Amino acid sequence: MFIRAFFIQALWNFERMQNIGFLFILKPFLYKIYLNKDKRKEAFLRHAVFFNTHPYLANIIIAIVVNMEKKIAESGLDEKVLDINIIKNTMTGPLAAIGDSLFWGTLRPLASFVSIFMVVLFAKALNNRFESYSILIPLVFIVFYNIVHLPVRYWFMFMGFKLDKESIVMLSKLEFKILLEMVRYSGVVIIVATLFLYLKIFGFGSNGIFFGTNIYDIFVYSTVLILSVFASGKFGAVFLFYGIILICIIMSYLGI
Amino acid sequence: MTESIVLLAFIAALCSTDMTAFGQFMICRPIFCAPLIGFLMGDIGTSLWIGMISEMIWVNEIPMGVAVSVDVSAISILSTFWVCKYFKDSQEAAIWGLILAVPFTYFYREIDVAGRNFNIKLMHWVEKGIQNGKYGRINTGIVASLFFFVLRAFLFYMFAMIVGGWIYEGIYLQFSAFILEGFRKAWYLLPVVGFGMVIYNFRNIKIQFMRK
Repeated sequence: MFIRAFFIQALWNFERMQNIGFLFILKPFLYKIYLNKDKRKEAFLRHAVFFNTHPYLANIIIAIVVNMEKKIAESGLDEKVLDINIIKNTMTGPLAAIGDSLFWGTLRPLASFVSIFMVVLFAKALNNRFESYSILIPLVFIVFYNIVHLPVRYWFMFMGFKLDKESIVMLSKLEFKILLEMVRYSGVVIIVATLFLYLKIFGFGSNGIFFGTNIYDIFVYSTVLILSVFASGKFGAVFLFYGIILICIIMSYLGI
Repeated sequence: MTESIVLLAFIAALCSTDMTAFGQFMICRPIFCAPLIGFLMGDIGTSLWIGMISEMIWVNEIPMGVAVSVDVSAISILSTFWVCKYFKDSQEAAIWGLILAVPFTYFYREIDVAGRNFNIKLMHWVEKGIQNGKYGRINTGIVASLFFFVLRAFLFYMFAMIVGGWIYEGIYLQFSAFILEGFRKAWYLLPVVGFGMVIYNFRNIKIQFMRK
């Protein structure tokens, strides 16, 4: 079931999103517990409805649903079916929000900052001449990210199986906010260190990219940095990307 | 070291699949897939830099909810491929690659949206099967969807690598010196913009004890 959970978004669609992925995960289990064909069909059809949450945290819902289906199959109480729908409907939104900010918004940037720091560090150490063993840098990113993500994904499923609905209570007690802030704080420390290292290597006059004198180069770099911080909120990444290239071409045309 | 477009397009398609369809192990991120293509083509330095720039500038591009985000992996993969194939070790050519790759990525997004709409039909087909007791359609639907995902990504990369490569090389050779000088400046300034965007992304950080 854990391996099958990697396919949850394989048939992602605009109408019911992860519903078939969800069914794909449950399929062997539903086959096992429902020997009656009609009951089995009912079970499959009730999970063919809309379902969408964070692909990592879906594991906890899957585990709870499995426990509930098991109870329905054993006791034959159809009123529990309503509970399944309630659990699915109420948990998907909050879990998606937690997953998005925890994994997409925090862990992934942190792992990439470590690699970016290494790129700048290697650029300094190797005098900008990267050798093939520099492939270790992206590998560090992948290992760092997955060494956290995979156990957490597994743990969510395990916790859901073991604690059933209590896992929701446990989840609500976890101090996600503090954890997020601590991880993000680490990210800021790494990125600020990388920025200073970058400016030291490429920024201040040594390359003759701009004026070749420290004071003017500091002016160019700091202006671009400050403007990009403030402009990020108002303009999209593509606009800023093309904008800065255009500015560079204009600077070159003007001989700056 | 390889320059086989078929092999590289297939690897690129597998990287794109990781973004939504399978796993989400983050092999789709530019910091990984650009150096991978660069490593295979024998220019890891330029590809690492491209990966770093793309990763930081598009740090907020993540597949959230129903939003179909820009495929950042396509930007980094295409620019890495073009620069490694035509102008190895050239910083200016790498920036030109990034410039040209962005419109191609928007085109790919349209293909992606069409693919997700096609998935609705596939989903209805699976659902009909379930109603008739044909549960095997669930597996078939998942495999078919993955197959079409890889296929459309593969065909896109083939097209972009070949046709985009002609455009890339043809236009690059026409650039005047001051434009190339501008690209060289952008090579060093774009990471600074990236740092700015990352700082903006993390602007609201206040540690709990600091609040108290």
